[in-house]
Amino acid sequence: MPARSTPVPRRSRRRSVQDLPAPLAVLGGGLIGSAARAAVGAAFPVAVGAFPATTLLVNLAGSLLLGLFLARRQRAVTRRWSLRFWAIGALGSFTTFSTFSVEVFRLLDRQAWASACGYVLASILFGLGAAVIGQRLGRVGR
Amino acid sequence: MTVFVAALTGSVGALARYLLSGAIQNRSRTTLPIGTAGVNLLGALLLGLIVGASDGSLLWTAAAGFTGGLSTFSTWMVETIGLGIVPKPSFRAVANLLIVATLGVALAALGYHITN
Repeated sequence: MPARSTPVPRRSRRRSVQDLPAPLAVLGGGLIGSAARAAVGAAFPVAVGAFPATTLLVNLAGSLLLGLFLARRQRAVTRRWSLRFWAIGALGSFTTFSTFSVEVFRLLDRQAWASACGYVLASILFGLGAAVIGQRLGRVGR
Repeated sequence: MTVFVAALTGSVGALARYLLSGAIQNRSRTTLPIGTAGVNLLGALLLGLIVGASDGSLLWTAAAGFTGGLSTFSTWMVETIGLGIVPKPSFRAVANLLIVATLGVALAALGYHITN
């Protein structure tokens, strides 16, 4: 009596996270990134009008990680879902431009000129620096 | 609770960013990253409106969470580097930084003064 052969699933037919529709990947990543920033914000609250150190650190960390992720991605074979989930969804949501803008406005509104200038310069210059460092780290061993 | 609500609305904001920035970029011929600029400036205006009107309740936290997902800082940085920043900043990169930052703060102020 011949043993019944079990059908071997074809690789291309296997359902996986790769099959996630693009909007779901962005939503899922966005959930993680938004939760992470809300949690950091709750853990390290900054009073209105004080120097927005929490947003600054979140934006710098996110810029470094995005530079790193995109540089790594060029060498590893990563699917488009990971770009949508991690880069667009998670890191895109973790960092924020709207809060940055409102915080600068609030500092200017309180005539905290030095803090406002320092915050803008630190965000942009260190943000660019962090992303470049991330890209360089991502290319190590290439 | 606030973290949970902000995470939910933030993810919807992320999806809106993905769709809207793609739509803006695809409708233009420029290689400047105007899709990201568009969602960021919209996010700054919306958060200004929200902060001006907010009474601190959960509904406003939810709305603010949406703008956090809609706008992004990291993509702005990485796209600016793509315009040429190392070793010498290009005109396009500097313009992308100065124009977006200035308009962002101006729109946040405008939004705040409309509702406050």
